[in-house]
Amino acid sequence: MIKLDPRTKLLLLLAEAVIVLGQLGGGNAEPFKTVFMALPFLLLLTVKKFRTAVIGAVLLGLGLAAGHIFTEGRGAIVLLMCSGILTRFVPSLMMGNYVMSSTGVSEFTAAMERMHVTPKITIPMAVMFRFFPTVKEECSAIGEAMKMRDIRLGGSKVMQMAEYRLVPVMTCSVKIGEELSAAALTRGLGSPVKRTNVCRIGFHAADIVMFLLCAAALGWIIWRSVT
Amino acid sequence: MTELRDVSFSYAAAPEKGCIKHIDLTVPDGQFLLLTGGSGCGKSTVIRLLNGLVPHFFEGELSGDVLIDGRSVPKMELYETAALQGTVFQNPRAQFFTVDTTGELAFGCENQGIPENEILSRIGRTVERFRISDLMDRNIFCMSGGEKQKIACASVDTLQPPLILLDEPSANLDYAATMQLRGIIKLWKAEGRTIIAAEHRLFYLWDIADRTLLIRDGAIAEDWSRADMDAMTNEKLAEYGLRSIHDTDPVTIERSCSRGEVFTVKPHKKFSFPAEIPLHEITAVVGRNGVGKTTFLRHLCRSARRSRRIFMVMQDVDHQLFTDSVLEEVLISLPEENEERAREILRSLDLEDFADRHPMSLSGGQKQRVAIACAAASGRDILLFDEPTSGLDYEHMRQTADLLRQLREQGRTVLVVTHDSELIEACCTNIIRLES
Amino acid sequence: MKGKDLINIGIFSAIYFVVVIVFAMLGFIPVFMPLLAVLVPIGGGIPFMLFLTKVKKFGMILIMSIIMGIMMILTGMGFFTVIVSAVTGLCAELVYRSGQYKSAAKAVLTHGVFSMWLWGNYLPLFFMADKYWSTRKDFGQDYIDALTKLMPMWMCPVLLVTAFVCGIIGGLLGKALMKKHFVKAGIV
Repeated sequence: MIKLDPRTKLLLLLAEAVIVLGQLGGGNAEPFKTVFMALPFLLLLTVKKFRTAVIGAVLLGLGLAAGHIFTEGRGAIVLLMCSGILTRFVPSLMMGNYVMSSTGVSEFTAAMERMHVTPKITIPMAVMFRFFPTVKEECSAIGEAMKMRDIRLGGSKVMQMAEYRLVPVMTCSVKIGEELSAAALTRGLGSPVKRTNVCRIGFHAADIVMFLLCAAALGWIIWRSVT
Repeated sequence: MTELRDVSFSYAAAPEKGCIKHIDLTVPDGQFLLLTGGSGCGKSTVIRLLNGLVPHFFEGELSGDVLIDGRSVPKMELYETAALQGTVFQNPRAQFFTVDTTGELAFGCENQGIPENEILSRIGRTVERFRISDLMDRNIFCMSGGEKQKIACASVDTLQPPLILLDEPSANLDYAATMQLRGIIKLWKAEGRTIIAAEHRLFYLWDIADRTLLIRDGAIAEDWSRADMDAMTNEKLAEYGLRSIHDTDPVTIERSCSRGEVFTVKPHKKFSFPAEIPLHEITAVVGRNGVGKTTFLRHLCRSARRSRRIFMVMQDVDHQLFTDSVLEEVLISLPEENEERAREILRSLDLEDFADRHPMSLSGGQKQRVAIACAAASGRDILLFDEPTSGLDYEHMRQTADLLRQLREQGRTVLVVTHDSELIEACCTNIIRLES
Repeated sequence: MKGKDLINIGIFSAIYFVVVIVFAMLGFIPVFMPLLAVLVPIGGGIPFMLFLTKVKKFGMILIMSIIMGIMMILTGMGFFTVIVSAVTGLCAELVYRSGQYKSAAKAVLTHGVFSMWLWGNYLPLFFMADKYWSTRKDFGQDYIDALTKLMPMWMCPVLLVTAFVCGIIGGLLGKALMKKHFVKAGIV
C-alpha cells in the first residue's frame, strides 16, 4: 500500500504533463518516457482501481498500435492523429484519475495550505470536491424519478429530455448548495483567522523515491539534449 | 443572556413569508426554550436572527436588535457569531462540510484556528460524552439520517458554544433516532448550555424544555411556563394547531384489515419483503431506519414497471418536478395530453390557482399536492408515498391524511412509508412492519 | 469577497465541472476532440449564467476560471490550460464588470470569453516540444509525419474562435432557461 503525499502526486502530474503529454525531449526522453507512460497504471493498481487501469491500458495499446500501421492516404492521417492523441493523453488522464481518487478533501486542503495557496482558491475547491458526490446523488435520484414517471423519449422530445434532465439537477443542487453554505458559515468558514488542519500529511520513503525519479528524468533529458 | 429587542424582519425574496413583527424576548442563560407554531410562522426566522444568517445570508429589512451576551448579532460578521453559538439544521444531508466524520468534528474548530492538539482532545471528549466512537473515521455519505444528525450535533459540540440553536432537527428522523437526539439535548441541558429549539414535533422535548413560545404570524402568541406545559393536553394542543406531545413508536401501533384483493410482490434477492399488498387500503409501512423501507418501495416500483400500475411520490418532491408550470407537470403525466382533464385534476386538489406557477416556487405542502396531482393524472391505481409528512405541521399533516383518504375513496391503493404515528392514527387502515 | 461568495464559487464550479465532464465524454473519441470546443461551451452556459446572477464582485469569475485550469492539471490534461484560463478569466471579469454586473447581454458575452479556457487543452497538441526536437534532425518525411500527427496548424485559431462562438450560444441557452425556469422557480 503506497501512500503518497498530495504534493508528491502534484509533482507526478506535472512530470506526466511535461514528459508524456508534452513530449519534452522527444526521442531523448527514453527510457524515462516509457517509465512515465507505465507509472500511472502501476499507481492505479496500488489503489485497486483495476477496471480503470485495464481500460486505460487497452486504449494506450490501441494508440501505440495505430502509430505503426503504415498506410498511405487519408486513413494514415486520421490514424496518426488518433495515435498521437491517445499516446499523449491516456497516461496523463490515468495519472489524473489516480490523484483524484486517492486524495481526500481534508488531505487536499491540508496540502494546499502547506503550499501557502490562498484560501480564496482553497475554500472554493474544497467546497467543489465536497459537492461532487451530492450532484451525483441528485442526478441519479432525478433519473430514477424520470424512469418512474415514464417520461417518454423520442423525436421532438429530445431537447425537452435534456431540459428535464439538466434543469432539476441544477435547481436541486443550488438549493442544497444554499443550505450547505448557511451551515458552513454558521460554523465560521471564511474567518480571517488562519485555519488549522487536523489532517496529517508529510513525506515518506515512497515520496522520496518519486522525487528522485522525477529529478533523474529531468536530468537525463537535459543531459541528452545538450550532448 | 440572549435577547431580541423589538425585532422586525421581512425577507427580501418573499416579503410575506416567515416574517417577524416586533418581537421582544429575553432568554436567561441555561434556559431551554422551545419555539413552535405552524409552517411559515417565523420560528425559523428567530433561529436565523440568533445565528446571524439573518441578515447576512438572507437579506431583508431588519429593525430592532439581537443580542448575545450584550453583543449585537446583526453588527457582527458571521464568523464572529460562529464563536458564540452552534446551530443544528433540519436536513442532515446538507449540513456537513467534509466527507469523513473526524474531519467534520474538527471543521468548526479549524475555522477558529484552534491548535491541532487541542482540537483532537476536544474531539475525544465529544466522542466519549456522545458515545459515538463507532461512527468515527467513516464516510458521511454512507450513514443513516440519524447517524448524520448525531455527527452534526457532535460537530457543534466540539466548539463548546454557550448557546445551542436547533432548527427542526428531528424532521427527517425516525422514532429511535429522535430519541437519541433527545439524549444529546438532555446532555447539553445538564451541562448548563442555553438551548433554543424550533420544532413541530413536540413530544420528544416537551418534558425537558423550560419554556415554550407559540409563534403565530410573526409574533409571540403564547408564552408557556413549565407549569403551563405540565398542564397541557393533546386536545388543547390540537386547538392551537400543534402536534401531540404523547407520541407513540409507530412500530407499536396495531392496525389490520380484512383480506380482500391483493397485489403480489416478486421476491427480492437480498431482503425478505412481504409477498402481498392488500388493495384498496391505506397501508402504513413502518420499521426502523435502515431496515429497507425505501428499498422496498423501489422494489415494488421495479416489479410493477411493466404493468404500469404503480406511481411513487418520493420523499424529496423536488426530484420529481421537471417542468416550468404546474399545469404542464400534470399534462405530461396524463397518458394522453388533455388540458381539460388536467385542469379538472388540479381543481380536485385545490391547485387551480397555481396552474401557471413554477412547481419549484411552491411551498413544501403545495409541491406535494402537485406530485399527488401527477399521481392521480397517471391513472395508476397503486400509489406509494415515501415519508410524505416529514417536517409538516399539524394542519398540513391532517390535509395529507385527508388526501390519502380521498385517493382511497377513488378506488386506489395507497402505501405510505412513514415514521409519523399521528398520520398513521389519522388515516391508515393497515400496517406492514419491516424487520431486518 | 466574503465566505458566502467563496462557497458559491465552489458550488457552481462543481456543477459546471460536472457538465464539462458529461459533455466532454460525448466528445472524447479522439477523432472528435475538436467537438469539445463545441459541446462544452454550449452545455456550460446553463450553470454559468446562473452563477453570474450571484456574481457581484470582482474576482469570482477569475477564481472559477483558475480552478478549472487547476482541475485540468489534476485530471492530467496538462498545465497550459491554467495559464490560458487565468488570462481568459481575467478578460471575462472585465467584460462582466463593464456591464455593472447587471447587463444580460454582457453576461452572454462574458460566457463567450470565459469558454475560451477550453482552448488551453488543445495547446499540447500543437505547440509541444516534439515539434521542435524531432524536426531538428531532418525535414522531409519526419517533418510531414510530425505535422500530420498533430492537427493541422490552422485548426488552432479555429478552435479558439469555435469555443468563443459556442460560448455565446451556451450563454443564450442559459439565459433562456434562466427565464423559463430559474427565475420562475425563485432561485435567482
